[in-house]
Amino acid sequence: MQGVAVTLAIFFVTMAAFLALRSAERRLSARASTAPARVPFTGGRAPDTHAWNRYHVRYYPMSLLFLAFDMEMVFMYPWAVVFVDEGLIALIEMFMFIVILLFGILYTWRERALEWA
Amino acid sequence: MTSTLARLASGAPSRCFALAGAGAGDVGPWLRLDPSVAIVDSPRAADVLLVLGRLEGEMLHAAAAVHDAIPPPRGVVVWSPDGWSSRRWPFVDAVTVRDASEIAPACRRLRDDLFRRRLASSPDALPDLDPAPWRGVGPFGQGGAGMTGGVPYGRPLAGRADDRDGLRLDQILVRVGPFLPPFPPGLLLDVRLQGDVIQEATIPAPIADDAGASGREGPSGAPVPHGHPARLAVAADSPFTTALTRPVPIAELELARARHHLAWLAEALRVSGLEAYGLRALKLAFGLDLESAESIDALDRWLRRNVSLRWGTNRVGVVTRAQAEGLPGGPVARASGDDRDARSLDPAYQRLGFEPVVRGGGDALARWRLRVAEARQSVQLAKRSRTSESTPSGVIEDPRGPLSDDVPPSAGLVALLPALLVGMEWGDAVTTVVSLDIGVIDPAVREVTSEGTGP
Repeated sequence: MQGVAVTLAIFFVTMAAFLALRSAERRLSARASTAPARVPFTGGRAPDTHAWNRYHVRYYPMSLLFLAFDMEMVFMYPWAVVFVDEGLIALIEMFMFIVILLFGILYTWRERALEWA
Repeated sequence: MTSTLARLASGAPSRCFALAGAGAGDVGPWLRLDPSVAIVDSPRAADVLLVLGRLEGEMLHAAAAVHDAIPPPRGVVVWSPDGWSSRRWPFVDAVTVRDASEIAPACRRLRDDLFRRRLASSPDALPDLDPAPWRGVGPFGQGGAGMTGGVPYGRPLAGRADDRDGLRLDQILVRVGPFLPPFPPGLLLDVRLQGDVIQEATIPAPIADDAGASGREGPSGAPVPHGHPARLAVAADSPFTTALTRPVPIAELELARARHHLAWLAEALRVSGLEAYGLRALKLAFGLDLESAESIDALDRWLRRNVSLRWGTNRVGVVTRAQAEGLPGGPVARASGDDRDARSLDPAYQRLGFEPVVRGGGDALARWRLRVAEARQSVQLAKRSRTSESTPSGVIEDPRGPLSDDVPPSAGLVALLPALLVGMEWGDAVTTVVSLDIGVIDPAVREVTSEGTGP
């Protein structure tokens, strides 16, 4: 019973704080809301097109490359667990894996995917 | 509670959004030295609209839009040394000051009066009307073709276009100017942005209005020929304007040049995110005297050591030698290897052993270094010149370039912009425009820069 009372008290106090902040914001805020004030500011001229657009993130080749190397770690964790048992064979296998990935990087480099698009 | 908050807020600096027009000169930068005023880069962050100089025609209409974008309570302070009639639309209840030293106290007083409700907020200048209703197909205006449904508020959504990485993505038209810091006041530029890359830049075609069509007077009172490629506003009280018609002490001219270059450097450093160093350069400019060469050297050494500054400006905004030769001269041309300097032809300067400072490269870095080297040279020239005076010959080397009755300094730079900016990321474009130091542009410049994209 006491737990329910505490929960209700927290709920009402939170609601009261929320409403108090909201009313304070309405009383104090100085936000202009006329049509000329709502447009994005680019220097004082009215925009011709809407500002909503699919923004071209030009770092996407880098993010794809990051994902490739991130997945490499998925292989490395189990490899680290069995490394002591397997010994040299495990080391050579990891070396081959890294070399293959390295060729991937060289190919990306040659294709100029590391440059900012 | 509101009055308590207002009292607490009155201790903070007055946040001003500054609009510079013809005759504003270089007053703007000095205000940054006053701790009671904070010059902000967006009207949304401002309390006071500060108008410096004269605004006419389309500049006045844009000023009205900026005014309305400032959230109430807001006020307007107009500094108009030449008696420009300021109390008119859109600044009907503006506080007008004549003396530049009165600007900061006036802003501070106005803000206090507004916050303590002794003064009413400046009323909206433009009607609260959207250009068109939101037109969707649903009963509540929602839905329709495209991402948001139709043409919201009469503004079409971004269209797709080919990009340099082989993708076909959204491209939006952004109408920059005339009051977008840190771009030069009065500059109108339409850019098509794909992500943060400028795919197309144009100087918009003129819009006929009375102010643009009338023959305005240029520096030294001579009428500026209609249709000149860059009719830029020059402060009438500048020593360089005076030196066009009568001898002026070289020390005065050269200290003014060094001061201008350092004030420009302060702004460029601020835009690069190095505000504290910008303030240091501005303080140096403010207290500049004949013994300041060493302080400029110290600043120059720091600039050379700063790796991030070099990365941000190296090979950015390259003006080729051919483009530089198409300019009438000036620091931008000299940073591209062109050694023209009007001072070389002045016998008084020849007697002082004047040699123009020239740099190669033509990028923003070369322009930065050239201006700092010129500021240092100017202080040394001023020290050596003693009482010698300039020889009026109809052309004088202004800090921005050669100034004469019919050719303003930094002429031709606006026309260079479209060719320079295409393919640049937005940050590089800002660095490039700031590095050109174009100055305030007279509204009438629109008529002519639309003619071409190169010199």
